[in-house]
Amino acid sequence: MRPRRLTASSNSGTTSDSLGRSVTALRPRFRPTNVRRRKEITAAYLFLAPGFFLFALVILYPIVRAFQISLFNWSIVPGTASHFLGLHNYSRAIHDPIFWRALENTGFYMAVTVPGQIVLGLATAVLLDAHVPGRGLFRTIYYLPVVTSWVVVSLLFQYLFITDGGLANWILHDNLHLVGHNIDWLGTRWMAMLSLGILGIWKGIGWAMVIFLAALQGVPVELKEAAAVDGAKAWARFRAVSLPAIRPVIAFVTVMLVIGSFNVFISVFLMTKGGPLDETQVLLTYMYRWAFSYLDFGYGSALSFILTLIVFVLALAQLRLFRRPAEAHS
Amino acid sequence: MVVGNVRRAHTVMSARLVLLSAGAVLMILPFAYMLSTSFKPNALVLSIPPQFLPHQVTTSNYTQAWSSNQFGHYFVNSLWVAVVTTLASVLLSAMMAYALARFQFPGRTVAFGLILVGLMVPGLMMLIPQFLLAKKLLLLNSLWGLVVFYTGGNLALNTFLLRSFFQDIPWELEEAMVVDGGGPWTRFWRLILPLSRPALAVVAIFTFLASWDEFTWALTIINDPSKYTLPIGIALFQGQHSTSWGLVFAASAIAIGPVIAIFAIFQRQFVSGIATGAVKA
Amino acid sequence: MRVGRLIVFLGVAAAVASMAATAGARTSSARTTTVTFWDAYSAGGGEVKTLEGVVIPGFEKTHPGIVVKDVTIPYDDLHQKLVTGVAGGQLPDLVRTDIIWVPELANLGVLAPLDQVMPDFKKYAARVFKGPLTTNYWKGHYYGLPLDTNTRIFNYSPAALSAIGASGPPKTFAQLISLSAQAKAKGYDLYAESGTSCWNVCPWIWSNGGSVTNKTYTKASGYLNGPKSVAAIQMLVNLYKAGEMPGIIVNSNAGLGTYDGINQNKYVATLDGPWMDAIFSAAYPKTQVVGSLVPAGPAGSISVVGGEDIVMTKSSKNKTAALEFLRYMLGYGTQAQLALAGQMPVLTSSSKWLTRVHPYYATYVKQLLTAKPRTPTPKWTQIDQVITTDVAKAFQGSESVQQALTDAATQIDGLLK
Repeated sequence: MRPRRLTASSNSGTTSDSLGRSVTALRPRFRPTNVRRRKEITAAYLFLAPGFFLFALVILYPIVRAFQISLFNWSIVPGTASHFLGLHNYSRAIHDPIFWRALENTGFYMAVTVPGQIVLGLATAVLLDAHVPGRGLFRTIYYLPVVTSWVVVSLLFQYLFITDGGLANWILHDNLHLVGHNIDWLGTRWMAMLSLGILGIWKGIGWAMVIFLAALQGVPVELKEAAAVDGAKAWARFRAVSLPAIRPVIAFVTVMLVIGSFNVFISVFLMTKGGPLDETQVLLTYMYRWAFSYLDFGYGSALSFILTLIVFVLALAQLRLFRRPAEAHS
Repeated sequence: MVVGNVRRAHTVMSARLVLLSAGAVLMILPFAYMLSTSFKPNALVLSIPPQFLPHQVTTSNYTQAWSSNQFGHYFVNSLWVAVVTTLASVLLSAMMAYALARFQFPGRTVAFGLILVGLMVPGLMMLIPQFLLAKKLLLLNSLWGLVVFYTGGNLALNTFLLRSFFQDIPWELEEAMVVDGGGPWTRFWRLILPLSRPALAVVAIFTFLASWDEFTWALTIINDPSKYTLPIGIALFQGQHSTSWGLVFAASAIAIGPVIAIFAIFQRQFVSGIATGAVKA
Repeated sequence: MRVGRLIVFLGVAAAVASMAATAGARTSSARTTTVTFWDAYSAGGGEVKTLEGVVIPGFEKTHPGIVVKDVTIPYDDLHQKLVTGVAGGQLPDLVRTDIIWVPELANLGVLAPLDQVMPDFKKYAARVFKGPLTTNYWKGHYYGLPLDTNTRIFNYSPAALSAIGASGPPKTFAQLISLSAQAKAKGYDLYAESGTSCWNVCPWIWSNGGSVTNKTYTKASGYLNGPKSVAAIQMLVNLYKAGEMPGIIVNSNAGLGTYDGINQNKYVATLDGPWMDAIFSAAYPKTQVVGSLVPAGPAGSISVVGGEDIVMTKSSKNKTAALEFLRYMLGYGTQAQLALAGQMPVLTSSSKWLTRVHPYYATYVKQLLTAKPRTPTPKWTQIDQVITTDVAKAFQGSESVQQALTDAATQIDGLLK
C-alpha cells in the first residue's frame, strides 16, 4: 500500500509552490539547529546542482535564446545582421488567419483526445482492476501503442485511413456495410482532425490505463468492500469511493495529456502535412513550416512561445481547478 | 441468494472479458496488419481487398532491412544511447527531486517553476539554439551529444514525477536516520532510493522509450552514418519517389521488439511503481 | 528484486552496446583528406548501392589520399538538415541538392561560386545540358553544376490502356479529354496526379502557352492568372469534377498513390520521372509502364525540369579535393554508372549512349529538349506552397480557377519583390 499523503494545507502561513500545493508537509518536523540547517541547505544545493546545471544549459538557455530569436527578423547565417522587430512577430501571428485555424485545430484535437483517453483509459483500468484471467497480456496489448514510435504508428494509420483502398473503409463499408460510402477520413478539415484524434486516443489509452490501474489498486480494498456491503450499485460505488480517491491522479493525467495534445506534431506532419488546403495545420506543423521551410525563425519562435504560454496557463488553471474540491474534503 | 451472486459475478466477469477482448482487438489490429504487411512482397502491400494473411509470404523484407545501411549498427547505437541516457537521467533527476521534496532552501520554488516550464515548451523550437550550443560544446556528430541532450530533456518530467513520490515517503523514517547521524547523502542513497525502486523503474522506462524513439535531434546533429540511430535508419527506407512499405514495417517491427520485451518483463514493477505514487500531481 | 533485474539488464545492455560500438568505429588515417558529401540518394533502390559500392570506391582508388564520406539523408529531412547546418556553420564540403534549393542556398551566401573558384568550370559547363545548368545560376554566378536531371513524361500501363479500348496514349489535350471519358466508362481513371504544386500542374500550364511569371521572374500577376494558364487548370478541374481524375490530386489520402493505382489497374497513367521504371521493375514486376510525351497543347508538349545539382560550400576546408570529387561525379564513367541506377545523366554526349543503358530514356531526352525549369528564386518553397494551396482551392470548388489563380498571383508578386 502506498504511504498516506501528508497534507497540512490548512496551516496558516504555509507557502505554496507554483502548483498551488502546500509545502508544509515537506518541512522537517523538528527544529534543526542553525548549523545543521545551514548544512542541510548546502546539501540541498549540492543535490540540485548537477541536474539543474545540465537542465539550465540544454533546456533553459535554448529557451531564452529562442525567445530572443522571436524578437528578430532572424538571419540564420552566422555573422549576418538580424533586425530587431520587438513584438512584431507576435502581432503578426494575431493577424494571421492560418495561425488561428491552427489554434482551433489544436484545441479541437485536445478536446477530442484528452477526454477520449481519460474515459477509455479509466474504463479499461476499471475492467482490469479485478482478477481477470490474462491480465498481464491485456496490459501489454493495451500498452503496445504507447511504446511504438509516433513515426511508425502515423505511417500505419495513414495507410489505414486511405479513402479508397484503406483498411478502415474496407472493413466499415465493404465488409460490415455500416456506412453507405467510403468515409473521407483525412480529406476534410474536421473529419481529418477527428481521424488524427482517433490515432491520438488509440495511442494514448494504454498510458492512461496503466496509471489509472495503478491508482485504483492503491484504493484501499476495505473501502470498496464497505461500499459493496452497503449495497451500493457498481457505478455509485465507483463514484463514491474510487473516483475521489484517484482524483489527484486524474489531475496529473489531464495536465500531462493537455500538454501532450498541444504538442501534437509528428502524426499531422506525416499524415496530412497540414493539408488539404492548410485546413489541418496545428500549431507545431505551422511553426515548423515557417522556421524550417521558409527560414523565418523569428516568426516560428514567436508561434512556439504563444503555444507555450497557452499550455502554461491551461496547465496551471487545471491544477487549481482540480485542487479546490480536494481541499474542501480534507 | 449466494448462488445468484456467484452467477452474477460470473456474468460480470464474462462481460469484462468480452469488453476487454474487443478493446484488445482494436488495439492490436493495426499491429497485426503491420506485421502481415512486413511479410508481403512489395507489389501486394496496398492491395484491394486488403490481405490480412498474405497469400505470398516472404521474409525478404526482414533480411533486406537488417542487412542494408548497417541496420544492426544503428540498433546498437540506439541501445547504447538509450541505456546511458536512462541511467544518467534517473540519477540526476532523483537527486534534484530529493532536494526539492525534502529541503527548504532559497530559490526552491523558482527552480521548481522553471522545471515546469521545461516540461511545457515544445522541443522543436529549441532545435536551432540547441544545435548552436552543441556545436560550442563540441558535441556535434557524437552519440554523447545525443546522451547529453536527451538526459537534459528528460530531467523535467522525471524530477516532477519523483518529487511527488519522495514527498510521500514518511519523514519519520528519515528522522530516525538523522538521529543516528545520517547525513543527507546517506539518507538519499540508503533510504530514499531503495524505497523508491518502483518509481525509479517508471521514470527509467519513460526515459528509455523517449530516447529510443527520438528522431529529429539525432538527425540534426549526427553526420556520420555509422552513428545513426534506429529511427533514422527506418526513415531512410522512405525514398524520395516511393516508399518501400514492406521494408519500413519490417524495420519498425525490429525496432519495437526491445521495448515490448522491456515492458512485458517489467510491467508489474512498472504498474506497482505508479500504484505506490510515482505519478501524482 | 525486479529493479535489480532492471539494473542488471541495463548494465549488460550498455556493456554489449559499447563493445559493439567500439568494434564498429571506423579508424581513419591522419594523412588522408576527407571530403564530406551530403546527398539524398534513395536507400530502397539501387542508388545508394551504386554510390557506395561503385562510384566512391572507384574515386578513392584513383585518388589516393582522398577519402569520401557520404552522408545519406532521407530526402524529406535534407532541407531541415541543411538549414540547421547553415545556422551552425556546419555544412559539408559538397551537397547534392534539389535544383529548387540552389537559389535559396546561394542567396544565404553559403555556396562557393563555382565559376570563380573552379578554374576549369567552363570546360565542365560546356559538357552539360543547358537547362539543368541554368538551375545553378543566381545573381550573376554559377554556384554548382548539374549532377542528374529529369523531367516528367506521360507514363502509362499499356495493358490498362488497351483495356479502355485506346489505340495509343493521348498525344494532345483533346485526346486526353476524350480518353478520360472513355476510361471512366470502363472503370479506370486515365490520368492520376498526386498534387497541385508546380511540379504537378506546370506542364499543363506551359503546354497550353501559359506561365507562372514573366521572363525575368519579377511578376506573376497577368501570367499565372492569364487566360492560358487559367484555361489549362480549368481543363484539369473539369476532368476532376467529371470524376475522371482521382481525388489524390487534392487530398493525398483520398485513394491509392499513383504507383499503387496503376499497379492495381485503377489508374492508367500519371506524369512522372525516369525513376518510375526502376521502381516498377523492382516493386511491381508484373506491371509494365511505358512513357510517351506529355500531351501537347497549343504551345506544344512542355514539361518541367527536375533533378539535382552538386554544389560546394564556402566553408569547405578541402576545396581542391572536393572539386576533384565534383569533377569525378561529372565524369563519363560515373554518369553512366548512375544512369544504370535510374539517375539521368546531364552530359550532352549522353544522348548518344543513354538509350543503350535503358531504352526508356529516349522519351525523357526528347521531353527535356523543351522542358522548363521552375522559377529560380530563394522564396521558391513559399511560392510553390501558394500555388499548391490556391490551385487545390480551384479543384475543391471553393473558388473559381480565375479567382484562385489571381489570389495566388497577388501573393507571389509580393514574394518576388
